[in-house]
Amino acid sequence: MAERYSSFSSGGNMWLLQRLTAAFLIVVLAFHFFLLHFVHHADEVSFLMSAGRMETLSYYSLMVLFLLTATFHGVNGVYNALINQGLTGTKRTVVKWTLIVASVVLIVQGIRTANAWAGIGLF
Amino acid sequence: MSTQVPKQTDESSENATDAETTVPSKGDARREEKRRRAAERREERQAEEAERAAAAEDTVELKVFRYDPEVEGKQEPRFDTFHVPFEKGMTVLDALMYSRDTYDSSLTFRHSCRQAICGSDAMFVNGTQHLACKTQISELSEPIRVEPLPHAEVTKDLVVDMEHFYDQMHAVEPYFQTNELPDGELDEQRQTRENREKVKMSTRCIWCAACMSSCNIAAGDNEYLGPAAINKAYRFAMDEREGEEIKQKRLEIIEQEHGVWRCQTQFSCTVVCPKDIPLTEHIQELKREAVKSNLKFW
Amino acid sequence: MSQSYNRGLIEDFGRWREFSAGMWAWIFHKFTGWVLVGYLFTHIAVLSTAIPAAGAEEAVLQAGDDVYTQTIVTLEELLLVRILEVGLLAVAVFHMLNGTRLLLVDLGIGLESQDKSFYASLVLTGAITVASVPTFIAGAF
Repeated sequence: MAERYSSFSSGGNMWLLQRLTAAFLIVVLAFHFFLLHFVHHADEVSFLMSAGRMETLSYYSLMVLFLLTATFHGVNGVYNALINQGLTGTKRTVVKWTLIVASVVLIVQGIRTANAWAGIGLF
Repeated sequence: MSTQVPKQTDESSENATDAETTVPSKGDARREEKRRRAAERREERQAEEAERAAAAEDTVELKVFRYDPEVEGKQEPRFDTFHVPFEKGMTVLDALMYSRDTYDSSLTFRHSCRQAICGSDAMFVNGTQHLACKTQISELSEPIRVEPLPHAEVTKDLVVDMEHFYDQMHAVEPYFQTNELPDGELDEQRQTRENREKVKMSTRCIWCAACMSSCNIAAGDNEYLGPAAINKAYRFAMDEREGEEIKQKRLEIIEQEHGVWRCQTQFSCTVVCPKDIPLTEHIQELKREAVKSNLKFW
Repeated sequence: MSQSYNRGLIEDFGRWREFSAGMWAWIFHKFTGWVLVGYLFTHIAVLSTAIPAAGAEEAVLQAGDDVYTQTIVTLEELLLVRILEVGLLAVAVFHMLNGTRLLLVDLGIGLESQDKSFYASLVLTGAITVASVPTFIAGAF
């Protein structure tokens, strides 16, 4: 059973990252819900108000970080769930890269949206 | 009560005629007759016993999983019902032994010490993993469903194949290792009281496999080390006498792909452990140890 | 031993009545996680209507006639969307509360009361959701 030891993987780092992003997300998601449903109300959304918020650098960077951590936490969670269902071999590699591509698309699209509001030319 | 399979009686009578035609000695015939009468008497007694038990007020109803790959009529798994007279303090194991001794001697299950030390009689009782000798009948709702441990191959009746479980246990090298020996050749390797206290609960494992059977992750991933093996690794990794170097080796074993990171903290193992070992807590502590040692490594 | 019998996953959902607190917590956490990931993708898709909207005239933006504002306003006018939002809040709150519970478990805190903390997150989720209904439904009629 010596081959068991050779499959050492970076599972620990991903585990830790999942927890660190979790701690961050709990706070930011609570803030997000509070700001956009209780401070501002759902029926008074407009492009200019969203743009107004996003033009502040601290809000813009917080939202980008929110997007990055949420995507990582969510996609890594899905990947772990699938592995626990017994996903192995080629299927696993395919799923892994599909998820990575989906994450990249999501992040690019999210940042483009944020840029549109912030008035940054890149979108 | 349908503990006997009709096919079996046919076979035995065929065998009897064979014996008569090939060896028609008087002694054999007499012995055959005697055996037949004994069997009749036994059946009568069993039927009587069963009737009495079913009619009696204080009996418990047991539904027991049956499977025997070696007898044609028993290859299809089924449940047999046994009525057992209740006695104060009766355990599931007691009831099974009564059923075997009174109704059906082919009923098969493992047991040895009957006092929760040998770990042979972990079973699936009313939907949860229990040690049969440590589970009071009075605490269960009737009918009591007794099945072999889930997520393991059934060999016969309540007996499951434990080979895979033992493989996982051996994979964590469940024995003391050290390269930090005391100076004197005959010196003892002393453990501090605090350190003993730390590993105390983890040493209680009796290898009954109840935790492994309850684990939803182990069910899906056959290579997952499982709670018992990780607990075993904890017992030695936390033993200060083994030294840093061995501890690192142990952390690498439990950190592999099918090691601690697979645990989803469902607490199923901790709930079913008959020795009350805080398995989840131990697995979590090993995760933190592994993270710490990785961070140190950076 | 030539033959043995594999009973497969007999501890399946068919036995849900026998699941313990920790198991339920895991199932709910996984379910809410899937919902939240699904929402994240939808959310960004809807919000990215802001990209074409950014090219609109200042006057159009002032009047709120741009694609983004119109999309959101139309969606928020639907009662179904409002109800789904309450559901989303419930899902998110549970995932956050149970996530906090899991973080504590990972830190080795309060493992003996893990079942109670699960029930507490359920009750709290219910309370927060009910308390938020007026705010979430406001202006939908």
